[in-house]
Amino acid sequence: MLTEIVGKPVPRKEGRSKVTGAARYVDDLRMPGMLYGATVRSPVARGRIRSVTFGEGVPWDEFVVVTAKDIPGENAVALILLDQPYLASEFVNHAEEPILLLAHADKQLLERARRAVHVDIEPLPAVFTLADSLARTQTIWGEDNIFKSYLVDKGNVDEVWAQADLVVEGEYSTGAQEQLYIETNGVIAVANAEEGVTVWGSMQCPYYVHKALLKLFALPPERVRVVQCETGGGFGGKEEYPSMIGGHAALLSWKAGGRPVKIIYDRAEDMVATTKRHPSLTRHRTAVSRDGRLLGMEIEFVVDGGAYATLSAVVLSRGTIHAAGPYNCPNVRIRSRAVATNVPPHGAFRGFGAPQSIFALERQMDKVAAAVGLSPAEFRRRNFIRQGETTATGQVIREPVDMAGLLDRAFELTDYQAKRERFARENAAVGAGGVKRGIGFASFMHGAGFTGSGEDYLKSIVGAEADASGRVRILAASTEIGQGTNTIFAQIASDALGLNYDLVEMAQPDTGNVPDSGPTVASRTCMIVGRLVESAALGLRQTLQGAGLLADEYTEGDWREACRQYVERYGALKSFSQYKPPPGVRWDDEKYEGDAYGAFAWAVYVAEVSVDTLTYETRVDDFVAVQEVGKVVHPILAAGQIEGGVAQAIGFTLYENVVWQDGRMVNNGMTNYVMPTSVDLPPIRVHFEEQPYEYGPAGGAKGIGELPMDGGAPAILNAIEQATGVSFTHVPLMPEALMRGLSETT
Amino acid sequence: MRPFKYVRASDAAAAARAVAANPRAKFLGGGTNILDLMKEDVERPNELVDVTRLKLSEIKAASGGVSIGALAKNSDTANHPLIRRNYPLLTQAIVAGASGQLRNMATNGGNLLQRTRCQYFYDTAMPCNKREPGTGCGALEGLNRIHAIFGWSDKCVATYPGDMANALYALDAVVRVRGASGRERAIPVGEFHRLPGDTPQQDSNLAHGELITAIDLPKSNFAKNSYYLKVRDRASYAFALVSVAAALELERGRVKQARVVLGSVAHKPWRSLEAEAALVGGPASEESFRRAAEAALAGAKPLAHNGYKVELGKRAVVRALMRASRLA
Repeated sequence: MLTEIVGKPVPRKEGRSKVTGAARYVDDLRMPGMLYGATVRSPVARGRIRSVTFGEGVPWDEFVVVTAKDIPGENAVALILLDQPYLASEFVNHAEEPILLLAHADKQLLERARRAVHVDIEPLPAVFTLADSLARTQTIWGEDNIFKSYLVDKGNVDEVWAQADLVVEGEYSTGAQEQLYIETNGVIAVANAEEGVTVWGSMQCPYYVHKALLKLFALPPERVRVVQCETGGGFGGKEEYPSMIGGHAALLSWKAGGRPVKIIYDRAEDMVATTKRHPSLTRHRTAVSRDGRLLGMEIEFVVDGGAYATLSAVVLSRGTIHAAGPYNCPNVRIRSRAVATNVPPHGAFRGFGAPQSIFALERQMDKVAAAVGLSPAEFRRRNFIRQGETTATGQVIREPVDMAGLLDRAFELTDYQAKRERFARENAAVGAGGVKRGIGFASFMHGAGFTGSGEDYLKSIVGAEADASGRVRILAASTEIGQGTNTIFAQIASDALGLNYDLVEMAQPDTGNVPDSGPTVASRTCMIVGRLVESAALGLRQTLQGAGLLADEYTEGDWREACRQYVERYGALKSFSQYKPPPGVRWDDEKYEGDAYGAFAWAVYVAEVSVDTLTYETRVDDFVAVQEVGKVVHPILAAGQIEGGVAQAIGFTLYENVVWQDGRMVNNGMTNYVMPTSVDLPPIRVHFEEQPYEYGPAGGAKGIGELPMDGGAPAILNAIEQATGVSFTHVPLMPEALMRGLSETT
Repeated sequence: MRPFKYVRASDAAAAARAVAANPRAKFLGGGTNILDLMKEDVERPNELVDVTRLKLSEIKAASGGVSIGALAKNSDTANHPLIRRNYPLLTQAIVAGASGQLRNMATNGGNLLQRTRCQYFYDTAMPCNKREPGTGCGALEGLNRIHAIFGWSDKCVATYPGDMANALYALDAVVRVRGASGRERAIPVGEFHRLPGDTPQQDSNLAHGELITAIDLPKSNFAKNSYYLKVRDRASYAFALVSVAAALELERGRVKQARVVLGSVAHKPWRSLEAEAALVGGPASEESFRRAAEAALAGAKPLAHNGYKVELGKRAVVRALMRASRLA
């Protein structure tokens, strides 16, 4: 047997092709007779379509034109609900909503034509804010503007207020955030009645697109095929949207008799029209005893879902379950709602609701600590959840968990205590207009995999096959989007079989060839799908051993020989593995109670900032991320996930501000939607603790993809509070807001 | 990108003649701005006259000052010993702009002529009087956070985004140009750019076909006490929200001569004679600098989203002067 590959920084499977330029992204693909597609969108946020007219000077007879009338199946993007049309036909509910599609072989003419289509819309009053939606200034969705609501109720919150020594209230809010993957959304489709529908594209979840196309074209599953091309980042932004753009290209191709149609959004269209992180509002009411014990937490959490339901129900769910954090509190009530507004639908984005509710919680914890006269650290130490205690949903933490240990480690790495004292001293001596410094932290957890019974519903499947030469291929719909899926799956399979890493490869995610291993989301790929990869790979070995071709101990040569003989005698060697929940897991969807996640990752993040009180520029000077994530499969990729997530969190906190005007993003360019560059980022120091998870793959891995998005914003604002003495409650915290906040207090 | 004709000029006279002969022709220097604009379909020249082979890249001592070739690269200019020693303000301003890669390509002449970064100018789906005269101004009612607080008109609220020109203005530089007829003229850098008025399509006072050949810097007494401050949304790949080129000549703690030029607040580098008057004769002190800053921003007329620039501008002026006089 070989030495272990898991835990080693082996080369990325697709690394070479990416750095040499050999990797093929969807825009690299050209097909004979290919047309380009474009989308005519609504100029207003809400209204009734009166007419569509085609301007002069464009040879319209050369164009393929698709309206809602051309849709062969149902005009609805199949996701959770069926409320979002592919093409608006009578009403529009948000700016940039697709109304009509055009295709032509000449891109420049196509753009001219797109601008020559005039859509006349009678405007209707629109709702743009959470507050207006809740107040129902207009009813724009369903009966009450509410997509979904949840109630988590643990203990009896109503009785604690009277007994509490202190009750602390706080209100916090977060803005939208654009995913800004480096490759914009793009697809190519070939569709006609004879051959069915095939879509190639940049995406996270081929089977989501597959499901949506079945409805759109009213076709059986075998007539629809979806293939993921090399994908330049997703961050959630390619979870649901590819179903829309994929459907659009397929509709154009269908109308064009099966000519291939390519649609690639430019940056401006991608930013203005596709999903963003849900803006949120959280209210906290916290009861504590004089000695700093959490007695009760009442949390109201609201997210803005935009014009259609899309994934808001599940984003809300994750945000709700994470809202009370890694604390042991006997009485917790969380009421949450996702509401409709007339802006483009908000959607999946790394963290999926959790960064929003954790931001509020970790700001509130600092506030409560101050109210009871304890340091932020001491207050948390007295309330950290421990093994055997229960979360807000009543989930008993069965694994060993040591939040206080993580805190100690993070403080040691940052010299937190000394700095906290030093900054306090130095800030007092800084004159008006000087630079003040602060250090702050956040402690939090993030559940891996689908929430509650989600994985049980999904019933993901992974396959493995070996050819006569002994090469192993993993068959999964889980996508490589830059995060390392191909590499970690190959590591897991090669360790399971004791084979060389180079002997294992990944099949291209193609619904015509791989089983549905579920979507590439929710920090589930390593922990949930990786476990299935492991057991599917082991299935190959069992088959060979069952056929008497392989001994218990074997060399790579033995393996190759066994595969050769098996394929010769019996044909293809394949093995499949399907998800089964770990024993003892229970979840009540009605009461929102029970085991919300198979496992949590646990973390303490520390940020150090300097605030220039003259120019209101804020800089994060240092960042330490300490987390317990189970077994680390690939140390470089894992650290890369954390560094990237922290960078994105810094953007969310201090730089990235979506500016809305009448429901339309008006700063939809990379010069005016400001994301931090490498020059703006501090050193991000990543430290892993490894506590193997019993049901994780490769000796106990858990999920980490979303975790690093959660802690940055509260840690930074907690540090800014130390620097400035002002408690800010909204992110992004722009210099203008800092100016207002500081001038109100001086 | 639309098709265009490419011509390589052999000498300055031929280059100027070639552009003058075709109203839709443009000079091509480092290409760091115009090529982007052509790709975005914002600029639509049908002919580019490449001037990069002309011998206009020398940086040399001249009549007590320095003459900088129009085609000298930004990086070479910033790093030239004569500039570093005698005009550190210019070095600071150039280095504050763009990125290392861009500065290695960008020429000084091209830098002066860089176009606004107004997003409505770049977005061809939006109206813009600068891009297409008569279509209107998208920024006036739109998002105007980065736009002008001085000298704008109801036709255009864009700013000149550059850094180098602000320092050049503070250093009393003169731009030398050559027309198609061979006529040369010298334009003080403060008169090179213009306010938008009713013709925002025109950024500068250059006539079509006039070629920048050099930028002359007179002997300067500001080398000891100058500072370029650029305040921006992020540390790289960002134009200034407000920038300040501050230059002082001090004598026994008092200000003998002063220059205060603000960047990214108007359609041209914005020199504040009011601030300078407030400084001259007074002490180099924070209190005096505050008065100068108040004077500098007194006439500001902010738009809906850039009111912060007024306060930020004052604070930036104070800091730049403090740093220039080495008090901070």
